[in-house]
Amino acid sequence: MIQRSWKIGGIALLAYVFWTTLTVPLGPGLLEFRDRNEAASTDGITKRIETYELIGLGTHWTVQPEELRLFIRKGDRITPLPIIDVIDDTHAHAALLLPDTLPSKAWDVLINHPIDGTLFLQNGLFVEGFVVDESAQLPRPQFEERSSDLPHHFPFQPRIFETIRNLMLHVPMWFTMFLLMGIAFVASIRQLSQSAGGSSLFDLRAEASVQVGMVFGVLGLLTGSLWARYTWGAWWVDDPQLNGALVTVLVYAGYLILRGSVEDERLKARLAAVYNLFAFVILTILLMVLPRFTESLHPGKGGNPGFNSYDLDSSLRAVFYPAVLGWMLLGTWMYRIRLQATRLNQKLHRLNDE
Amino acid sequence: MNRLMSALSNIRFLLQHAIRVELRNRHGIAGLLVFAVAAVYTCYQATGTHAEQESWNALAWVVLLFAGFNAVSKPWADDDEGVRAFLIHAVQPQHWLIARTLYYMVLLGTVSTVTFAAFLLFLGMDHMSGWTAGHYYAGVMLTSTALASLLAMIQALASRAGGGFSLISVLGLPLIIPVILVSTRYGSDLMRGIAFGDTAHHLLFLATLSGGFFALGYILFPYLWRD
Repeated sequence: MIQRSWKIGGIALLAYVFWTTLTVPLGPGLLEFRDRNEAASTDGITKRIETYELIGLGTHWTVQPEELRLFIRKGDRITPLPIIDVIDDTHAHAALLLPDTLPSKAWDVLINHPIDGTLFLQNGLFVEGFVVDESAQLPRPQFEERSSDLPHHFPFQPRIFETIRNLMLHVPMWFTMFLLMGIAFVASIRQLSQSAGGSSLFDLRAEASVQVGMVFGVLGLLTGSLWARYTWGAWWVDDPQLNGALVTVLVYAGYLILRGSVEDERLKARLAAVYNLFAFVILTILLMVLPRFTESLHPGKGGNPGFNSYDLDSSLRAVFYPAVLGWMLLGTWMYRIRLQATRLNQKLHRLNDE
Repeated sequence: MNRLMSALSNIRFLLQHAIRVELRNRHGIAGLLVFAVAAVYTCYQATGTHAEQESWNALAWVVLLFAGFNAVSKPWADDDEGVRAFLIHAVQPQHWLIARTLYYMVLLGTVSTVTFAAFLLFLGMDHMSGWTAGHYYAGVMLTSTALASLLAMIQALASRAGGGFSLISVLGLPLIIPVILVSTRYGSDLMRGIAFGDTAHHLLFLATLSGGFFALGYILFPYLWRD
């Protein structure tokens, strides 16, 4: 039973991960705060009172529309803008009622709502036709950040939107691959450090775990490519993180090709182990070291190859950590099955030879 | 001290021996240089002297990389099982690896220098001044050092596996990509007019990679060599 419990645990974790990944809704967010003055230019509103349209995603503005508050912020200066009309849950009109002199042209847009909480659109407003004076005074409103009243949801991220769910599928692939390649690395060291003429048991372990690791590496490339198509607009982009991932998979493909080209079992075990040590060092350089030296588009990067703590709030953690553990357990299980299959196959060949 | 001296003299002997064998039959090295110059000339035919900066840089590194791989891929007297069986008893594997790495540095350095000179001659130096070309050349030499330290090991591995040229490429090309990523970035930085001081860390990184490859090879080579 204990033998089996970690496998059942892994499957249970993955079932939970898939269920929550696909059912938890995305939290509300602000998409755009745009000038609709062209449409309203004939209704006699003076130049300084321009109407703007506020567009949200997954917001609930028709619930208590009178409680919807709009602010613009620059540094520590914050000022309210009046909401004219709430059109529907995700659209509202606001007036750009501002003094002639402003401290800045570029503003962040914030809204407060009892259900959605405080939402934030960085550099969402750019005003023209105002005198810019750093010391200009603005009316100071009562502003308090409020948290959302919504049940469990994933955080809204600009441009990423619903694809944030890919975090549970894509990132654990690489974690699992790293674990499996680590198993192979240790097995290769033990293969080399045993005395000459030893068995090739460790070599079989390295082979099985590289094979399963390759499956996870290829799945990582596929899930990443699919995500990139929706978020960056291309199946593949030139990026250090992506280069590193592809080269890693190529290096391990080289490992499997090397195994295929040596006939003698003992020589194969030794050569493959030597190359595998090279491969793991390169894996570490490519995925852990090089991205630190270069800039990357990849989420959570920008000089830091670990995932960025700002991107990961508690709702994501509650699914992401089980996902990593679940995929790792599944990967380990696959590795053990693969190892058993290889050994049985070898035994069969030996029986056939006799 | 004595052991160090004898190790050095062993390495010197192996290096001299390798160079002597190479020079005894000059067709080999001549073939490499012809390959390199022909590749450069093909690029020249395709682009003339009007290659854009990025194309110039890309072509230069592709030609240098493949000329380098071509240089190490020819069969080698030491790869013969009988010769290896003799050498195993005559010299320490590490000494053999050091001599082989030094020899590759000389060989790849020569091939790279000729290739780079042909490149400057045919495709022109529109994108760089004399000093920049010198800095670029420093990058070329460090890249061939990195190639030498990696390929000395990979060539021995491939010849032990009996795979020949295709196996060297399959095993070596993915491993060398980090080096090429750094070199191409260095070259393109120089051509875009970024000051040498601001991009020199790439050279340091290349040297570190060479050192890393060599250290790995040094540790692992005895396992490869013994029977």
